Amino acid sequence: MRFERIKPHLPWITLLALVLIVGISDTNFLKPQNLINMAADIVPLFIMALGMTFAIYIGGIDLSAQSMANMTTVIATVTLPIFGPGAALVCIVAGLVLGAISGIVTTLLLVPSFISTLAVGGIAFSAGQYLSGQRALYMDAELRDSIFGWMVGRSFGIPHELFIAAVLVLLAVFLQNRTTFGRSLKAVGAGEPAAVASGISVSRIKIMAFALSGGLAAIAGLLFAVKLSGGSPTIANGFLLPAIVAVLVGGTPLTGGVGGVVNTLIGTLIVAVIRSSMLYFEVDATQQQMVFGVVLIIAIAMTIDRSKLRVVK
Amino acid sequence: MNEFVTRDALIKWAPLIVLVVLVLVFALVEPRFFSVRNFARIGISSAPALMVAIGVTFIIIMGSIDLSMEGTVSVCAVAFAFCFLALGGTLASVAWLALPLALLVGAAIGFLNGLVHVKLKIPSFMASLAMGFVGTGFALLMTGGDRIRVEDEAFRSLLTVRWLSFPIMCYVALVFLLFAWFIQTRTKLGRNFYAVGGGEELAHSSGLNVNKVRVLGFMLAGVFYAVGSLLAVGRIGIAETATGSNFMFVSITSVVVGGTALWGGIGGVWNTLIGVLIVNVINNGMVVVGLPGYMQDGVLGLLVIVAVVLSTDRKTVEFAK
Amino acid sequence: MYQLRNVDKVFPGVHALKSVDFEIGRGEIVGLVGENGAGKSTLMKIIYGAYQPDGGTINIGDKIVRFQSPRQAMEQGIGMVFQEQSLIANLSVMENIFLGYEQQFVKFGVINWKEMAMAAKAQLAKVKLSIDPATITSKLSFAQRQLVELAKVLTLEERVEGELVILLDEPTSVLAKEEVELLFSLVRELTSRASFIFVSHRMDEVLELSDRIYVMKDGEVVDVVSREAADVDSIQHKMVGRDVDKEYYREQKQTPYETDAPLVSLDGVSLGTKYREISFDLHKGEVLCLVGTEGSGREAILRTIFGLDTPDAGSVSIKGEYVRSFSAQAGVAMGIGYVPRERKVEGIVGGMNVYENITLSQMKCYSNGGVLRVSEEKALAREWISKLAIKTPSELKDCGGLSGGNQQKVVLAKWRSGGSDIILLDHPTRGLDIGAKEDVYDMVRSMSADGVGIVLVADTLEEAIGLSHTIIVLKDGEMQKRFEGAPGSKPSLFDLVHYMI
Repeated sequence: MRFERIKPHLPWITLLALVLIVGISDTNFLKPQNLINMAADIVPLFIMALGMTFAIYIGGIDLSAQSMANMTTVIATVTLPIFGPGAALVCIVAGLVLGAISGIVTTLLLVPSFISTLAVGGIAFSAGQYLSGQRALYMDAELRDSIFGWMVGRSFGIPHELFIAAVLVLLAVFLQNRTTFGRSLKAVGAGEPAAVASGISVSRIKIMAFALSGGLAAIAGLLFAVKLSGGSPTIANGFLLPAIVAVLVGGTPLTGGVGGVVNTLIGTLIVAVIRSSMLYFEVDATQQQMVFGVVLIIAIAMTIDRSKLRVVK
Repeated sequence: MNEFVTRDALIKWAPLIVLVVLVLVFALVEPRFFSVRNFARIGISSAPALMVAIGVTFIIIMGSIDLSMEGTVSVCAVAFAFCFLALGGTLASVAWLALPLALLVGAAIGFLNGLVHVKLKIPSFMASLAMGFVGTGFALLMTGGDRIRVEDEAFRSLLTVRWLSFPIMCYVALVFLLFAWFIQTRTKLGRNFYAVGGGEELAHSSGLNVNKVRVLGFMLAGVFYAVGSLLAVGRIGIAETATGSNFMFVSITSVVVGGTALWGGIGGVWNTLIGVLIVNVINNGMVVVGLPGYMQDGVLGLLVIVAVVLSTDRKTVEFAK
Repeated sequence: MYQLRNVDKVFPGVHALKSVDFEIGRGEIVGLVGENGAGKSTLMKIIYGAYQPDGGTINIGDKIVRFQSPRQAMEQGIGMVFQEQSLIANLSVMENIFLGYEQQFVKFGVINWKEMAMAAKAQLAKVKLSIDPATITSKLSFAQRQLVELAKVLTLEERVEGELVILLDEPTSVLAKEEVELLFSLVRELTSRASFIFVSHRMDEVLELSDRIYVMKDGEVVDVVSREAADVDSIQHKMVGRDVDKEYYREQKQTPYETDAPLVSLDGVSLGTKYREISFDLHKGEVLCLVGTEGSGREAILRTIFGLDTPDAGSVSIKGEYVRSFSAQAGVAMGIGYVPRERKVEGIVGGMNVYENITLSQMKCYSNGGVLRVSEEKALAREWISKLAIKTPSELKDCGGLSGGNQQKVVLAKWRSGGSDIILLDHPTRGLDIGAKEDVYDMVRSMSADGVGIVLVADTLEEAIGLSHTIIVLKDGEMQKRFEGAPGSKPSLFDLVHYMI
């Protein structure tokens, strides 16, 4: 009972504790400039995690996010000379469509989401390889700066990525808290049978959640491509794990229904702090994946709502 | 009832028919496909994948899933290579001890995997996915990103020595396939997998220690992943963090395409053999007939969706998450 | 030789068993009858070890026993043949028979199939089933599976010292006539090996098979009759017992319904094995009650009207419009509200607060272009909280934390506030305490007075009679009889039971 009460507050307490620990051991960490840079660095990951939040919120998962981002870095690079600013639109639409396909396969064909998104991820990966001719591509620097340069600039010393993230967070919070879609999403995550019996079109909501996840993964890929000024079908590898970790340590459990966008914001910051703390504590970068794997297990174990699982398979 | 019988028959024979049709189609389009040489090539690419796929078959029969194979294979491969080289670097010396050691490492990882799943009550797909990440990370930690070459001739004879045109690794894989079949049909553990997959609560109320069966299942899977890792190292002569890459997608696809239902209880190791062959025939055939290799993941993706849809009894599954 | 003395079992809010005495002798067949909710299943669960009694003792022979689990009960010779069959469909017959006890055939982890097959054959011979023990269970007919189940329980004979007691829970419910005969002659023969407790809602079968019959009502054994003294009528009277309290069911508030233009009209509707050829009309202000035993098709009919199930044949019209596609969305749009039995699963969304639950089915009315007008939602919730006297600190309270009665009110508020004028109530008072039940009865009356048409599946027969204008009795998915129930001329419990079983 005690634990249940502090559980919702654990994510930000963890974040605060981590910041303090790292800050005390190296005060440079707490310099505003450092914190801002750290936050800006993690924006593409955050956007991907934001999308993942919707999939997990309804009790599913999106394992295609990384391949989706990979694919969009390629799409962005390839289509930039052709469509100019329209390249962004192409990327987002591609993400939405592939995400929707995952959703359709999951809800209408009853394929569990971890398989359907894995499969759609395979399709996205193939598409990326096809479009790129299996090599790394580079954007024309001038073209990039003239069209997407605003994404990575700085105003008042604050990187523009943070503004993008802020806008997306506000949009997502609004979507989650103030719209019929967000409310339906919560109902589906917290009690799918009751949502059905209330006349909510559960399939549509789920498909939209997966589409959003795909769309946001695409935006993450787009931003990544702009930042690195190019794309390749493997450039975002290594993003999937921290994205899932960010959602779960933020307090949105694998079983869905609680948590949400703000939780993922906190979760991503926790991931960012863990990453930089590894730098400060001189933990080898090669150990990151191991650390995050363990963090993931702990986070799932602490957040998951076992009363929703009749048998744990 | 009649409808049910045809569904059963379809599930039973469809994979084999698909395999035969695929072989015929590729052979018609490109006669070079239909040669012993090419079949040996398919055999080589299939052997490690078959071992990994058999491992996960047991898990899927229980109605769970294991997504840790990439990490496990990498760790086993790297652990084997280090140990092998440290003990003399040739099978003629005590370095052969590295072989059973690799299997032990596989079992140990599987054991951990099973514990995390069962004791922390985390759904297996997530527990094993996380463990897989840990495994890959651990392999990276051990190698520091380096490749370890295993050039012992005796060990590489897995690939280089051929009987009847097929390299030894194909026969090794066959032996382990028969061993897996034995486990599946003749041992208590093997049958308990089916009981758990067919009705976990019923099995539990009949007095079966379901958690123990699960953990043992993950251990057994780990051993087969280790065998797969040895064959994979034997095939390319290198152990590295990337030894395990791509095994997850390929093996899950193979199992499902072979007709083992994701819901548990149905299928077996022969299905998995067919599934692995389907996947590898597609991969090989696409290359032989000149289709671009990058389409493979996409094709497999479609294939796995079709296979899961076909094997799902829509009357019993209400909604998927 | 097997005895329960003064056994008590209390669940939160329900005294499920009140000082029950029960005994069974060697080789005896004892019948157990009672209405739904009379305590039969609780008593069975105590006997086979799934529940532990809160008071009283269980004796086998002279010794007092206490079971922590069904497995412990099995080790003392008490086996259960489940109605929901407990065989694993993808395993062979012999594996099922020895599931959990394979060790006797295992050496070094390897199973000796021959030995197991022979042992299984011996067990199957006990129930006169000559099938290959290696057959996959899913290939067997239902009756065959039932026998395998019985054979599985009979393996206790070899494992356990002393006598066997075997519970048969509704074993005949899906068997054909000849199969029932076969089962009965088998059970009679097997009395040389075991005693049987036979639970069924088919009175004639209970009378035919049992040596003695325990009649249960409201958690008590109201009578024990021997086969010679038993007759159907008197047992049925004892099962239903007391007179209906008019005050309790707000009968004085019952007003006649409008007979023109039916709200819902079913014509020859059938759905698979669940129900066949159902026809009735529901009018404004009418409370129509579907009565029948568990599995008689009551719930499935509700779900069809709401749109959750699509019928195979017949036509459904809502407010004069023929229904073409069945979906919950369409149902809600037509003004139907469904109050499901599984309140916590299908009724409310735990984790969402009161106002979110209330507007869940009608978000369109409280949003512009998908953006919710939250303050209006809250105002609506406050209005209905006071209208229905929902006990909650505020509209922001998580519904999962409310009491059962208040959750039920929230569900009703959801439909009523959205203007639903056809309400389907599936066991609306299940698990509620008396005060909360009375609240629900009041609401039924006031809805009816407002011209709402209600289809009710009641928790008890008294409730059905007390609340309804019209009663339709169902048996095995078919309509048996229709009763009109104006105050003062209501059918009696006995009238209904007569057609139910």
